[in-house]
Amino acid sequence: MRKNKLSNAIILVGLAILFILAPLLYPNQSVPFQMMAYMALAQGINLLYGFTGYLPFGYVGFFGSGAYGVSVLVLLLHWSVIPAVIGGGLVAVAVALLLSPLLRLSGAYFSIGSLAASEIVYYIVSNPNMQNITQGPYGVNLAGVYAPNTSYYAMLVILLIFTAVVMYVKNSTFGMSLLAIKEDPVSAAMCGVNVVRNRVVIWLASAFAAGLAGAVYGWYVSVFYPSSVFDLTISIFAIVFTLFGGGGTVLGPIVGTIVLYGLYNTIGVSSPQYFQLIYGLLIVVLVMFLPQGLTSLLKRRGINVP
Amino acid sequence: MSTFLFAVVSGILFGVFFSLMAIGLNFAFGVMKIVNLAHGDFVMLGAFGAYYALTVFGVNPFATMLLEIAVFLVVGVGLYYGIIPRLLRSDDPEMLSLILFFGISQVIEALATLAFGTNPVTLPTNALGQLSVQLFGQAFGSSWVIGFLVSVVAIGLLYLYLYKTKMGIATRAVMANRNEAAASGINVNRISAVAFGIALALAAVAGVLTPFMLGGIYPSVGVNLTITSFSIIVIGSLGNPVGTVVGGLVYGLSLLLMQTYLSSWANMVPYVLLILILLIKPSGLLGKGARNA
Amino acid sequence: MSHDALLNVSQVVKRFGGFTALNGVSLSLNRGEILGLVGPNGSGKTTCINVISGLYAPDGGDVSFHGRSLVHVPMFRRALLGINRTFQIPKPFKALTVRENVEVAGAYVGQRKRVVDDPVDFVGLAAFADASASSLTSGQQKMLDLARALSTGPELLLVDELAAGLNPQELDAVAKKLTFLASQGVAMIVVEHLLGFVNQLTQHVIVMNEGREIFEGALSAAAKDPQVTAVYLGQSEVSVRDGRQ
Repeated sequence: MRKNKLSNAIILVGLAILFILAPLLYPNQSVPFQMMAYMALAQGINLLYGFTGYLPFGYVGFFGSGAYGVSVLVLLLHWSVIPAVIGGGLVAVAVALLLSPLLRLSGAYFSIGSLAASEIVYYIVSNPNMQNITQGPYGVNLAGVYAPNTSYYAMLVILLIFTAVVMYVKNSTFGMSLLAIKEDPVSAAMCGVNVVRNRVVIWLASAFAAGLAGAVYGWYVSVFYPSSVFDLTISIFAIVFTLFGGGGTVLGPIVGTIVLYGLYNTIGVSSPQYFQLIYGLLIVVLVMFLPQGLTSLLKRRGINVP
Repeated sequence: MSTFLFAVVSGILFGVFFSLMAIGLNFAFGVMKIVNLAHGDFVMLGAFGAYYALTVFGVNPFATMLLEIAVFLVVGVGLYYGIIPRLLRSDDPEMLSLILFFGISQVIEALATLAFGTNPVTLPTNALGQLSVQLFGQAFGSSWVIGFLVSVVAIGLLYLYLYKTKMGIATRAVMANRNEAAASGINVNRISAVAFGIALALAAVAGVLTPFMLGGIYPSVGVNLTITSFSIIVIGSLGNPVGTVVGGLVYGLSLLLMQTYLSSWANMVPYVLLILILLIKPSGLLGKGARNA
Repeated sequence: MSHDALLNVSQVVKRFGGFTALNGVSLSLNRGEILGLVGPNGSGKTTCINVISGLYAPDGGDVSFHGRSLVHVPMFRRALLGINRTFQIPKPFKALTVRENVEVAGAYVGQRKRVVDDPVDFVGLAAFADASASSLTSGQQKMLDLARALSTGPELLLVDELAAGLNPQELDAVAKKLTFLASQGVAMIVVEHLLGFVNQLTQHVIVMNEGREIFEGALSAAAKDPQVTAVYLGQSEVSVRDGRQ
């Protein structure tokens, strides 16, 4: 346990230093910003997939809900931006609560069901009939609260918080009960584990991560469209980064995001289809030969991965 | 009233076509219990095949269809032996297959984008032939009617295979219980490989029809087609081919009625139907009993 | 039926589609009592345990524990109230170690008094406590399943086909453990094909067939009961086909 605490502290401090220094070393601040956003999303996916086995293809629905939550709270209700960001996260939690019956589904049903749910949210937000509230498909402009540096650090805080949440879950009885549910809900219930409640709790926590990330993302970019914050590619990237690094670990999603998002920035921005080809092949190779992700290479050698 | 009738008849024409598009996905699931998330991408490839055969080489879509059936069958059998036996031995085949085919879907989409670009391509609707039908004083375009007829024939052939041939009966045994089937001396791997080939061949047939039924084709359309297909088979009931036809009709009718009366919300139809069915009756309209969830 | 009994099952009916798995089953059990539940395959023994543990909701009748109806109490809460069970095919949490498997179960119990302080040690797995549950043999997995069930400190333990697949020495050891638990006040329902094993535990049995009780009384008397012998005639394959459900 003590050893875990030390390595966890090192990871958190390391992340903080990395992203505080990154804008000084790297000319384009938005690159480390997006990396943080994806890392936070990957940790959110990790909370759900890594500990319960639910793989939410529609995870971006919460990200978009967070972004639009902020825009409605700021533009329509004139909240100041920090409460609005938290409110945006809570909007995602509310959406997740509404969608919690999806947890009755398992495997592919859940994955595709969640994808359908996020598309429904997208079509509602982007519908021209919703113009009074969400501006429909025409996008929103948060120029009034635009603050790239503050929002950059807000994303860092969110990343650190949810990395810490993963650490907590991984080392707690709660996390153990989730792993038990993942393997066999019936046996878990016979251990006295409240299966339904624990699943819902982690589902809401995961949605909160995506909602906050989406909210800060909306604040940072300040101009966005439904098609940009509900883009399925965001779900796909976050899932692939998590799977690549390895779910159920603290480090997996971090390593996965650094490696793959780094790769994306080298080749993906100019020719996204080559990047898509590479990560598509990576997934195939991963499933065939390394289904537990990159960090499992270390685990196989008996090295404890935080 | 005539608007309503037009919507209903078109809904049925489209519904049967959508059944064809989805039935391969359902067939593969029924036999192997895996969800081929690249199904829509194979439909997309079939569509591009028809497009280039016609525009570059002047090949009639029906000839392309026969050629594609052969090619996709071989590809399907090869793909099966290459990956699926290994997957089925793993701890969690259903989840891993979902992720794996998601990867394959990304690879196909990327390669298609490199080869075909991102702009939609279209084919003249009369390339399938002339067969206009008058019904209730309304004219229905020949591509819709021919697409409907081809779909009926393809689904009928699948039915004949499953119920009238020796291999088809063995396939149904595998669908019912893989282990029992193996214990009764059925070569489960060979049956499944052929089933996967047939599933892709059905996707190819639907693909050739797609430009005529749905209009513009582009590489990233595959994801939408997969979700639509998945919705249809969940509506019908997963693993039950007859259910797919019901699912396709429900989907086609709902879509066309929404487009007629509430067009700005029509895009949501497959997703809303999917969620409703999943939550209200997860085993589908024709499903028996409940699944463990 | 006594009202001060630990467990009262009265007129429970359970149907699956058109098939009636339990057709008005009643039984009651006192503290420290062991009841053997025997009968051919498909007679409803495991279904009965599944209804008591909360895996299935009954279609009719009532199950009460300490005089309180359990019909609307979810499975996990029954575990916390003091009912636990083993499974015919145990599914230990393979991602966790042996000790963690038991800790998951112990974590929610609070101050409940446990008959067994260290379930892992009690079932003889102390040497494997830090090993992954996936490394256990199938016999050891059954013992882990028992340890998991004991870690919530049950007053009522439902034992489903624990004996199948164990060798004679292991059977003997398990029988001693169950007898010890009963002597400490744990009530047990033991579903079993191996009548010799039941004989080591208790003389009180209920024989079931087609969802009904056809005999209740001493095991030795059951063998002479014409209805019971008729049911068991030609059932010699019972213990071979077991576990396939």
